[in-house]
Amino acid sequence: MLDQNIIDELKSIVGERHVLTSPEDLVAYSYDATFTSARPNLVVLPDSTQEVSEVLKVANRELIPVVPRGMGTGLAAGSIPFGGGIVLALTRMDRLLEFDHDNMMATAEAGIITSELSDAVAREGYFYPPDPTSDYYSTLGGNVACDAGGAHCLKYGITGHYVMALEVVLADGRVMRVGGKATKNVTGYDLVRLLVGSEGTLAVITEVTVRFIAAPETERTAQAIFPQLTDAGRAINAVLASGVNPSMVEIMDETAIKSVEEYLNIGLPLDVEAILLIQTDGDEADAVRGIETAAEICRQNGAREVRVAATPEESEEMWKARSSISGSLGRIRPNKLGEDVTVPHSAVPEMIARIKEISIKWGLPIVIFGHAGDGNLHPNILFDKRDPEEMERVEEVVGDLFRAAVEVGGSLSGEHGVGVLKRPYLEMAMGPLAVEMQKRIKRAWDPNNILNPGKIFPPA
Amino acid sequence: MTTDDTAPRSVGQVAEEEALHCVLCGKCLSVCPVYRETRIETLSPRGKVALYRAASEGDLALSAGYADKFYTCLMCEACREVCPSGVELDAILNQSRSDLARNGFMPDSLRQLSETIIIAGNISNEDNVQRLGWTANLESRPAGLDHGGQADVAYFVGCVSSLFPASYQIPQSLVEIFEKADVNYALMGSDERCCGYPLFLNGEGERALEMARHNVEAVRATGAARVVMTCPSCYHMWKYIYPELLDDGELDGLEILHETEVLAEMAREGRLRFKPWPVTVTYHDSCDLGRKSGIFEPPREVLRAIPELELVEMADHHENSLCCGGGGNLETYDRELAQALPRRRLEQAQDAGAKYIVVSCQQCKRTLFGAARRERIRLRVMDLAEVVARQLEGENDA
Repeated sequence: MLDQNIIDELKSIVGERHVLTSPEDLVAYSYDATFTSARPNLVVLPDSTQEVSEVLKVANRELIPVVPRGMGTGLAAGSIPFGGGIVLALTRMDRLLEFDHDNMMATAEAGIITSELSDAVAREGYFYPPDPTSDYYSTLGGNVACDAGGAHCLKYGITGHYVMALEVVLADGRVMRVGGKATKNVTGYDLVRLLVGSEGTLAVITEVTVRFIAAPETERTAQAIFPQLTDAGRAINAVLASGVNPSMVEIMDETAIKSVEEYLNIGLPLDVEAILLIQTDGDEADAVRGIETAAEICRQNGAREVRVAATPEESEEMWKARSSISGSLGRIRPNKLGEDVTVPHSAVPEMIARIKEISIKWGLPIVIFGHAGDGNLHPNILFDKRDPEEMERVEEVVGDLFRAAVEVGGSLSGEHGVGVLKRPYLEMAMGPLAVEMQKRIKRAWDPNNILNPGKIFPPA
Repeated sequence: MTTDDTAPRSVGQVAEEEALHCVLCGKCLSVCPVYRETRIETLSPRGKVALYRAASEGDLALSAGYADKFYTCLMCEACREVCPSGVELDAILNQSRSDLARNGFMPDSLRQLSETIIIAGNISNEDNVQRLGWTANLESRPAGLDHGGQADVAYFVGCVSSLFPASYQIPQSLVEIFEKADVNYALMGSDERCCGYPLFLNGEGERALEMARHNVEAVRATGAARVVMTCPSCYHMWKYIYPELLDDGELDGLEILHETEVLAEMAREGRLRFKPWPVTVTYHDSCDLGRKSGIFEPPREVLRAIPELELVEMADHHENSLCCGGGGNLETYDRELAQALPRRRLEQAQDAGAKYIVVSCQQCKRTLFGAARRERIRLRVMDLAEVVARQLEGENDA
């Protein structure tokens, strides 16, 4: 429990109502979208950069851990306060501050819901491509802190590729602005890039400037049904090598298909091993030619049936199946662990085969779906955390998955971040020297180790 | 009654099972009106599931603070609709309120509401004979008061339309339509009591049973085989909760209908002939009628039957309709929050280009009308019955 004087001091900064201490509040800020949880000592909801700064000064003086949090929909336990302390939830800081038509950039507070930003951009006829599945229930600040991806990233890149400038508060409360609106900038170290994906361990992000692009004129979607999963893997590579530049290539395996079909009842086939969803965009001629080429390649590579959506509604229906997978898994087993291993796209068939072997080896269902076009797979391990023996097997499965990803030339995480869940495997993926250099950066920025302590790096 | 105070507080089997299916993905945060306004996780659907789980596992005690979170909810069930795990959030929310009520943690303002309903027979503590106040300024005494036990349709008016002058026009309109179309209907006046839905929402389903029995008997006395309601909450209660409360057979031979179904049927049969109305309207699905009872098309069918009327949809409609802010007894529990909620809905209507929002719920009408006036938003709000009465051929323009 924190000293009452400190609680009072925090209340004087953000206002009495914005410091939450009830047992209910501590439960509600104890989790993210993983299966782990830990209660903080209190929750602080600041309304401005100034308030964030004042809160951090107190925390740094008193050596209280501070865990920055957006909407708590992370998938790596990165915003869970395992060491207690303050959860600093930035959800009240949700204002769109500036819309710069001339430079095609927008600046918003970190707590804005990502879809509110992308909708605002779309209303003006532009396009902000990063589209994590949770874009309607995650914040821009959280997306930046975890360098979130999404289906469009195959063609358009991930969140970090759109961040131009940041305002952050350092561990000691000082406010710093990095980056700017100049599209080329090699002045000094690229601190924007360092902060993107830093998971709240280096500074608290309070304001973000992103760029956006011209919206593609139109899109086309195709759904290809593959009796054999390995054929689907081959088809992905063939489509990418063909010169078609698809904006999305998503895969669902048989378990994912079954789970979604049970939830949505939209007539997905239950006797096949994989469905690919492919989207092309551009002007009308480009999008149509692209999708037809991709469809033909799928047919040549073993697709039983390829449907090209005739209307936007039909296309939406196809995507709804994909975006509903993750949540629908709760019907199969109570808990899931969704990984986001990413491999070179040539290695997707190999990786899928290895995941299937791992599932059989440890006797746990693993559902495979994800952004297959950029090699970013989401094997989801399904389990019941009330069974300790099963939990041990989950650990083994995770280790095997990461080893397999590294062995085929890939990485532990494409878009979720390390958080706590991937911490033990960091050195395996990056090597001891790279981990040591990162720890030195962390010490330089946060000497008292108050910012999201224990995340990314294994405890010494 | 023998109660064991030391026994662990029971939670329903169904609710517990449902809570287990939640994977905490957070998708419900994107649609919950209370979360979107407050941005406080504790008040979100996911937060409530987490609290419920913690309480079931003995990690959190029921308390006034716990109650505060569960009564800060519109019971609009938008969360259930989007849940990719298919979690029946309503089971968890209802069970929690029921656990809280049973253990003495119902907030005072809501306890007061329950007592009023039990004692007065209505939600506003009026003498129940005042239920016919809305008939006072009609040109003639409604025929439905002289049914002689021989009616075809019993009109269950509901507390708000009976007792809140701002809503009088809804029953006045329906009665006008019935009389023009020669419907043999009955009004029950002071024999009607609160349907019991507010008690159910407070977590006191069992106390609603006596309201149900009384009302079924009052309807039986009219001789009618059909009961029609203008209030979607009364309708939902009669259609879906009464069968759970009452014994098998107690509702036999009674067809429960909402005004929208009856008006659509009358329009289909050619019993309503409309004058043109060249205006852009949008239809607001109330939670109790739409998402919770599955009635979406009948009101739209009626509106489309009006010549020259252009019907547009708001961003959130049908199953994904956005609650006006008037649900779940939240208005009684936290007026300030309830009043902050309708703004987003009014903006959606404006964005859709509508000049009128048509509702089929007196509570939605009150809430949206009040908010439009407070926020100085130029939008008219009308109940479907009012629209129909106004557009019937042979009438002067309103």
